Amino acid sequence: MRSSVALPAASAASLRPLLWTCAAFAGGVLLHADRVPPWAAGIALLLIAWRLLNAHRGGGDPGTVARVLLALLLVAIVLARFHTLNGLAAGTTLLVLMAGMKLLETHAARDQFVMVAAGLFLLLAACLDRQELARAPLYGLQAWLCCAALAVVAAPMTSTRAALSLAGRALLLAVPLALLLFVFFPRLPGAFWAIPRGDLALTGLSDTMTPGGIGLLATNYDPAFRVQFSGPTPPPEERYWRGPVLHDFDGQTWRATPSALRTRVPREYLGTAYHYRVQLEPSHQRWWFALDTPVELPDSRALLTYDDLIIGAEPVNDALSFAAVSYTHARAGRPLEMAAQHQDTDLPPGANPRTRALAESLRARAGSDAALVQAALDYLRTGGFVYSLEPERLGVDAVDDFLFRTRVGFCGHYASAFVVMMRAAGVPAHVVTGYLGGEWIPFGGYLLLRQADAHAWAEVWLEGRGWTRVDPTAVVEPERLQRGILYLLPQELSVRERLLHASPWLTEWLQRWDAANAWWTNHVLKFDYEAQLDVLARLGIRSPDARYLGWAFMLVLCLWLAFIAWHVGRSIRPGRKDALVRSYERLCRKLARIAPRAPHQGPLDFAAALIARRPDLQPTVLPLFTRYAELRYGPPSAQTLRAQDIRAFRQSVARLRLRHPSTAHASAGARLPA
Amino acid sequence: MPEAVAGERARWHPFATLAAAANARMAAWIRRRQGMDHLPVTLERRRLYILPTRAGLAFTALLFLMLLAGLNYANSLALFLTFLLSGFALVVMQQCHRNLLGTEVVAAIAPAVFARSTGTLVLTLANRGATARIRLEAALVKGVPQTADVPAHLEQRIELPVPAPLRGVVRIERVRLSTAHPFGLFRAWTWVHTEVAMLVYPYPHGRLPMPADSARTAGARSHSGAGADEWFGLRPFRPGDSPRQVDWKAYAREAPLLVKEYVQGASELRMFEYAQLAHFDEEARLSQLARWVVDAEASGERYGLTIPGVQLAPDRGPEHRHRCLAALALFGREDGVA
Repeated sequence: MRSSVALPAASAASLRPLLWTCAAFAGGVLLHADRVPPWAAGIALLLIAWRLLNAHRGGGDPGTVARVLLALLLVAIVLARFHTLNGLAAGTTLLVLMAGMKLLETHAARDQFVMVAAGLFLLLAACLDRQELARAPLYGLQAWLCCAALAVVAAPMTSTRAALSLAGRALLLAVPLALLLFVFFPRLPGAFWAIPRGDLALTGLSDTMTPGGIGLLATNYDPAFRVQFSGPTPPPEERYWRGPVLHDFDGQTWRATPSALRTRVPREYLGTAYHYRVQLEPSHQRWWFALDTPVELPDSRALLTYDDLIIGAEPVNDALSFAAVSYTHARAGRPLEMAAQHQDTDLPPGANPRTRALAESLRARAGSDAALVQAALDYLRTGGFVYSLEPERLGVDAVDDFLFRTRVGFCGHYASAFVVMMRAAGVPAHVVTGYLGGEWIPFGGYLLLRQADAHAWAEVWLEGRGWTRVDPTAVVEPERLQRGILYLLPQELSVRERLLHASPWLTEWLQRWDAANAWWTNHVLKFDYEAQLDVLARLGIRSPDARYLGWAFMLVLCLWLAFIAWHVGRSIRPGRKDALVRSYERLCRKLARIAPRAPHQGPLDFAAALIARRPDLQPTVLPLFTRYAELRYGPPSAQTLRAQDIRAFRQSVARLRLRHPSTAHASAGARLPA
Repeated sequence: MPEAVAGERARWHPFATLAAAANARMAAWIRRRQGMDHLPVTLERRRLYILPTRAGLAFTALLFLMLLAGLNYANSLALFLTFLLSGFALVVMQQCHRNLLGTEVVAAIAPAVFARSTGTLVLTLANRGATARIRLEAALVKGVPQTADVPAHLEQRIELPVPAPLRGVVRIERVRLSTAHPFGLFRAWTWVHTEVAMLVYPYPHGRLPMPADSARTAGARSHSGAGADEWFGLRPFRPGDSPRQVDWKAYAREAPLLVKEYVQGASELRMFEYAQLAHFDEEARLSQLARWVVDAEASGERYGLTIPGVQLAPDRGPEHRHRCLAALALFGREDGVA
């Protein structure tokens, strides 16, 4: 079996389990088709196809040497490609390839079982890799497929329908227990063994910005994060969600400068406090987006920088949620440090001379910093600037080119130009990137921020007020504050998005879908140790005692097992005999006084034995037994007819009265319907 | 007599001796626990045993790995998958148990066979429930399991091969009924202890011609030669038939092995005596006597048998043949007369 033997031509019995194991494995591979390198998925699918074709032809296996060499080659390729075999991506690729190799020598039921297990393992890897709601049905199907494949491996002649129904029923019966365990099985507060996750594509904002970079996000409709407010909701024009703050400008690109040495400026918060909870979608970056100015650090897993940005200790690789309190207005408690003032007024020397000149002339006319800000905004409002997602390319002096030549741009251009003007005039200023606005989802009662809501604005330091938010884009396109970028510039939308927005009905369903996703993330994916304690608290168990919980759990488990035992055994219980057998047994019981029926006696034998003992019973009893034999062993008749006959038989058995032999002569006996 | 031994597995196993000893202890314990069975027997809960199969153990290991991965990453989906498959395994366990529970063993019989052949234990299982019982396996100790489905409300026979190398009695003390349906992750099994004795006739063999009418036999006898045989017909070959009666010409034409049957108008009367065959050893004598009994019955003659301790008056017919062969089978055995 392990060497290159020509196998006998494929029979249905040997082909069926192979087909199912291939299906289970192929399902696992397809779950990873867009994650593992395309060549690996291709090789696995080719191996499956080859194995099936070969089995169909009845061809032999490739030799052991060829298999070992090919396996080593594949391992080498994976090593060369990933530089490791550890980690989800490399591990999954390796599993896909090696299971494919295993398929080549799969003949015995044991090998087929291994292949099904590989299918289940790939499913597990897929669960670890991606947890979107949209993929959950696929995972369910794969689990079903694998279980059905198990049934066929165990009994090759199981029909497709029987296998699917067996597996489906068993899985459905398992769901209550799975839910119970899901809620009550003790979770661990942290990981005990970390596997590197490999390089993942970053999504969302980055810590650099070239004016125009944010435009790439504008057509990305994916959710970035969701916010649920407890208490007041900020008005649309206050919904600035802070991301990376960019201080350094080299004439082309803005960069964030992380500095652990600087401290936050203490401040006095003004206006309303907003309490909310943010659920971040995995971005593989470390930003935690909070409303304008968060009051304090929400979580021990993150830190709050001097420029009010929350940065996580780890990249956000899984959905994550945190609670925070923010204000949208504040007043600084002390003057700006010299280092900060220096950093935020720095400009590359010699660049953008026309902008500098403009700024100096504005400075000369304005009496105060606040008036200067107003003058710069007025310049932008009245200078014939146009908001567009498709601006022209800018030259070397990008800000000069934008302010005096193209005059077409979007948030990145305006924020950048404004900050350069402020710095040129000696006012400390920096660019803040983040998100603006959000779509209110009524079904979940939360605010949905999409990547397309990415935005850039400016903050300037005003004496006596501290850092003050200024959004130059709002001056050019006031609508941007109220509505998402997609509503603003419908011509920029892709065909898909335009179709989706064409009908309010579709929009509503999109919102519902997002609400379902939010629920999924919140209550299923993020069901962790704390959530578990929360559920217990809601059940009235304030301080969970492991012992009582264990007992309670055992009790529920036993109840479930009893239910399963009852459900599974329902139709197998011998008590449930068909009506005909019940009537016949009743007949035999009635006659047991005369002669008990021996187990080996058929109805006619028994009747003969009875009549031998009591010849007078012949006219009464013989027709009953003959009738029973007809109904039981005769040719099958139409169902309704049969039901009628059985009922008639039951009635005649019920009417049967046994007389004492002396009086029996008078008895006419039970009459059977003709 | 040893228990039936068939299909000895040749695969070497490091713990084979230990496992065998453990199995023997287990079997003895179960035997003590359950006592002897009197058919018909319904398989009740207290006599069913269930354990995971190798595949089941592997599945458990897989579940454990999944649990570790799920806990490690605090990954809800992986955990749910693990719990779902754990529940699945528990449901499967119940289904497997229920597939066997309540089955009725109605009868177990093993018809007599000739030595050096394979006999059959015919097991009749009844399903009183409304659901078919799928893939019930029956096996003798160390025997190859035979599989059958028992449809709802019906009975099903399973035939188990029982090797019969030597004459005498093969005692079948226990039969193992098991099932791994539906997923092969668990195996439920039970032992049915029934005293089935399979009679093994001596191997009919020997070249001596049948003795002519004995002087001691009383009653009328007719001299009739072979010409008195009347052609009766052909029937399929059965072990024990004389090679002389086989229709070899038909066999050469690739027909199945058929036996020519004759009836005799006036049968001969023969007496087969153990004492006549003084110059053979015991088994050879019994084989020769068995040969004669088979041949005489096949040619419709009347025959009697005298062996030490047993004397059977001349007669003919299947029952007489069985009595004679049984006497030969049990000759010298302590088992006594069946």
